[in-house]
Amino acid sequence: MEDYYQYVIVGASAAGMAAAHTIRQYDHEGSIGIFTDEMDAPYFRPLIPFLVSGKKKAADMSLIGSGPYVEKHITINTGMRVMGLNTTKKQIFLTDRSSVSWDKLLLATGSQPYMPKNIDGLDISGVFALRTLSDARQMAKYVEQTKHSVMLGGGILNLKTAFALLEKGLKVTLVVFSPEVLSQLMEPEDAFLIRKALDNAGLTIITGVNAKAILSEKGKVKGVLLDNGSEVPCQMVCIGKGVRANVNFLTDSNISVDKGIVADKYTSCNLPDVFTAGDAAVTYDPVSGAPMMTALWTNAVEMGRCAGKNMANIKTAYSGTFGILNATQVADEPFVSMGTVHTNSFDFEVYRYHANDSYRKLVFNADGNRLIGAVFVGNIQNAGLYQYVIREKMNIKHLKSYIIDHNLHYGHFLK
Amino acid sequence: MQQPKEIFVKIDRCVGCRSCTMACAVEHSESKTLFGAISETVMPKSRIYVEWVPPDNKVPLVCRNCDEAPCMSACISGAITKNAEGILITDMDKCIGCWTCVMVCPYGVIGRHLESHKAYRCDRCPDRDIPACVEACPTKALVYDTVESYSESLRKHVSIEMTRSDRR
Repeated sequence: MEDYYQYVIVGASAAGMAAAHTIRQYDHEGSIGIFTDEMDAPYFRPLIPFLVSGKKKAADMSLIGSGPYVEKHITINTGMRVMGLNTTKKQIFLTDRSSVSWDKLLLATGSQPYMPKNIDGLDISGVFALRTLSDARQMAKYVEQTKHSVMLGGGILNLKTAFALLEKGLKVTLVVFSPEVLSQLMEPEDAFLIRKALDNAGLTIITGVNAKAILSEKGKVKGVLLDNGSEVPCQMVCIGKGVRANVNFLTDSNISVDKGIVADKYTSCNLPDVFTAGDAAVTYDPVSGAPMMTALWTNAVEMGRCAGKNMANIKTAYSGTFGILNATQVADEPFVSMGTVHTNSFDFEVYRYHANDSYRKLVFNADGNRLIGAVFVGNIQNAGLYQYVIREKMNIKHLKSYIIDHNLHYGHFLK
Repeated sequence: MQQPKEIFVKIDRCVGCRSCTMACAVEHSESKTLFGAISETVMPKSRIYVEWVPPDNKVPLVCRNCDEAPCMSACISGAITKNAEGILITDMDKCIGCWTCVMVCPYGVIGRHLESHKAYRCDRCPDRDIPACVEACPTKALVYDTVESYSESLRKHVSIEMTRSDRR
């Protein structure tokens, strides 16, 4: 292995790989070395539930050569965890204490599943928190000895995994502490159609309860004890309670960390020649300016590309991160959620439209002259235009009726 | 190197007849004929859209093949790639129908095949020399040309107009 790369990138997922390929577009010569503690070559992480369902093989998820990841001469060192760094000597340290030097460093270490401390028995065999391809393989194997799986948490990851398990013929129960599923992405009222579709698809959903403990027999999961006293027998438990940034290896460094790695407008850390992007980075909300961390593939790629440009000396400001920017389809119900969509606590102008097969909510600021958030369920046509309007903080006075009626098209932007 | 060609839109020439959308849907049908297309079980879809803006402008919209295409970066399954001609291609086998591309496209030109659960867009008609929409346009509102040659034609047009107005 080389002991020097001009560009060293820690993390080989969305942000790291996007940065590497962007650097290569602008710098055809400089050596690029990527380090990942995973044994697998880079892959599209959002696809791993398909490995559980059997719809895709690991090879179908490979990142290299797909989409924008087509640049050459990028060295990927798998199975190598970075344990720490010396920013004065410009070196990273690996598990075997060897060091690698860099001119420019990107910290794109991503995040890992949050394991709630108030639930006992998370180390029992049969408890999963789906994050890596390796996790997915183990889960797929464990499916064979599982009849009933309990999912703790009602977010997108757990919903996607739940459907993978349903397809494998398992009974699946979702235990959600919030009043409704997808509470991070929308309010209960917004989720009505999605909930209906989930119920019809055969998911059992319990809301307003939390797990207290995982129960075991001979070291394997045999059930979940809920905080309402009831016990749900099952053979598998999936934790989907959000993620935390991988920043522990920075404890002894002088990199500024506040839950995540603090980035300035140009994706730089507090020290020269050190950059950050992706789940591990703290950025800001383009609408409110508030510090923001997200765990979204799409955001990570965009920030990674921006960091890549900055590392290649093309100074580029990062346009910020939508805390919420999700599109997906669960149980044949497509939805998009973006920007500010939780409207209970502040003064917003909100328009809701309910129909049998679609729903939308459009959130404007208190003055009603800027769109700041939107939820579309069922009909998500032209969602990108609304995203554009939110991001550009457009004064939408002349467009407002089109926005509310979901009739906006690009022609409206032409002068 | 041969410059890649683009579909340019002359909005002032569009009369909103939608010949382009018809030709596009037919070109992307199984039979590639009008009468065959309308009887197909999965209704063929147009990848060009003609919208209306007050007071009375018609605006044909089609994928711009952005240089830094947001759809390609955002795609969570690596289904969108730029080919050697600079055209964005969605790999139907890789597309999982998550609609992230729809969420980030600022032009609103990515459609959804509800039957097959896949995203679709203009592919610049790989089997044809000239895209079907351009060939079908009766007013020449759609032009298939390289950036260089198209801007030259615009410059020529403007200078002719200016000399004319000088004579008056």
